[in-house]
Amino acid sequence: MTGGPALRVSGLSVAYGDVVAVHDATFSVAAGEACAITGPNGNGKSSILMGIAGLVRRRGGVEIFGDPAPNGDVRWAARHGLTLVPERRQLYPDLSAADNVVLGCYPWTRSMRRARRSGPFSKAIDLFPEMRPHLRQPAGTLSGGQQQMVAIMRGLASDPRILAVDEPCLGLAEAVSRRVYDALASIHAAGTTLIVVEEAPRRALMICGRRVEVRNGVAGAP
Amino acid sequence: MKFGNLVIAGLVTGSIYAVFAVCVSVWYRVSNILNLAVGDFAMVGALGTDDLVRVRSWPLPAAIVTTLAVVAVFGYVYDRVVLRLAQDGRRRQEGIVITFFFTFALSFFIDGVAKILFGTDVHAAPALWSGGSLTILSGLHAERAGVLVLACALICGSMFWLYIRYTLGGKAMEASGENPLGARIAGIDTRRYRRLVFVGTAVIAAVFGIIESPITGYMYLSGATISLTGFIAAAYGGFRKPGRALLAGLFIGILEALLGGYVSAEYGDTVMYAILAALVLAWPRAMGFGSAVSQ
Repeated sequence: MTGGPALRVSGLSVAYGDVVAVHDATFSVAAGEACAITGPNGNGKSSILMGIAGLVRRRGGVEIFGDPAPNGDVRWAARHGLTLVPERRQLYPDLSAADNVVLGCYPWTRSMRRARRSGPFSKAIDLFPEMRPHLRQPAGTLSGGQQQMVAIMRGLASDPRILAVDEPCLGLAEAVSRRVYDALASIHAAGTTLIVVEEAPRRALMICGRRVEVRNGVAGAP
Repeated sequence: MKFGNLVIAGLVTGSIYAVFAVCVSVWYRVSNILNLAVGDFAMVGALGTDDLVRVRSWPLPAAIVTTLAVVAVFGYVYDRVVLRLAQDGRRRQEGIVITFFFTFALSFFIDGVAKILFGTDVHAAPALWSGGSLTILSGLHAERAGVLVLACALICGSMFWLYIRYTLGGKAMEASGENPLGARIAGIDTRRYRRLVFVGTAVIAAVFGIIESPITGYMYLSGATISLTGFIAAAYGGFRKPGRALLAGLFIGILEALLGGYVSAEYGDTVMYAILAALVLAWPRAMGFGSAVSQ
């Protein structure tokens, strides 16, 4: 591991046509840190995350562990240690929950056998023991909370150095949200750098030591 | 015994339709594009092999390998040039109608080139397993080429099933079709799977063209008919369910043979398309058309 930050974002802007969603965001996240990106809905939090991960085109620079990330290439981020757990989960609805999770291993292996026997896969499966009875079920038939759990498990199976989670509790019941945050806390405690996009700062600050506040597309300290 | 023989003949044509339907729907899942040119690759396989063997006196194995290699390279180049320009750029061409024309045009292009290269006569690749028809039971017969077609369809089908079921690559291919965005987030190269399946199905189609052509014979326009029937079978599976497409292909093949045998050889096709249309009108949802349209 290098001594530099896990993630360095400089002058990041994201625009959809003429609409500027993020304007000139600059911040960095140290290795092992848990950082929250907070702010009201529609102010550009998710766009920052999508710009970093390469899901949308951006201007400005993003470095992941010192390597400059190419623009608009989400696979690069996945292969270089930054895994996104996206908004609305983006699961594969007809595949079983277990298959969804095992596909998280794709950035580092092409062998089903290696993936299933790997540490990251079993860590992911052990993260939510209550999901065990549902692992054979098609992901599309799971409840919202269960789908969120599968999305986080898939993220963890990629053995990420940085896990970026977008609105993990959107539309979930309070008890499920707490469960999800417990799991995120345990992932962070195991040494993974964590970035959480969250509308409610109080919940995010239960596990995050620091937050970046986004208002009207401008990021800054709160 | 007439019934049994018709069913056997129907199974053979049906398995061809099934293979093409599966090819169409698997690629549709990955790429969201309907491949209308899949039958033309079969035609190229049959006529290309025939041309090399009969006109240029090549040995059969070399002719087959060369034809398949040409099909594979052509498929690869088509994906690299046309599909990449149309789909991977900033302005992605989307929508079932627009993307339909990519392969529609490809089909016409292949037909045109084939007309120049192979002429307009009906030809067939040399039989791979020559001899008279086989007797299964007294009175029940099967063409040798038909047996090869069935065996090959079984092998292709089960290999594909094993690939989807047991390998991470197969799962990744499924994921690319179900949720391209989610697949890319997991580091899956969805374009690679689009290319892999396109080239793979083109080669499989060519193989079937070579094996099957001794039964029916091919001319430069034959591809469109096969594509169309495979396409209809795929539509019965909503274009996204290869399993259903396979069953529909077999069903259409058997129906076609029975109608040809019992109703009328001339009007059999007409009656068949009428029945197929009636089925769609009666149960559009059950036939998967709802999901095809909403995609």
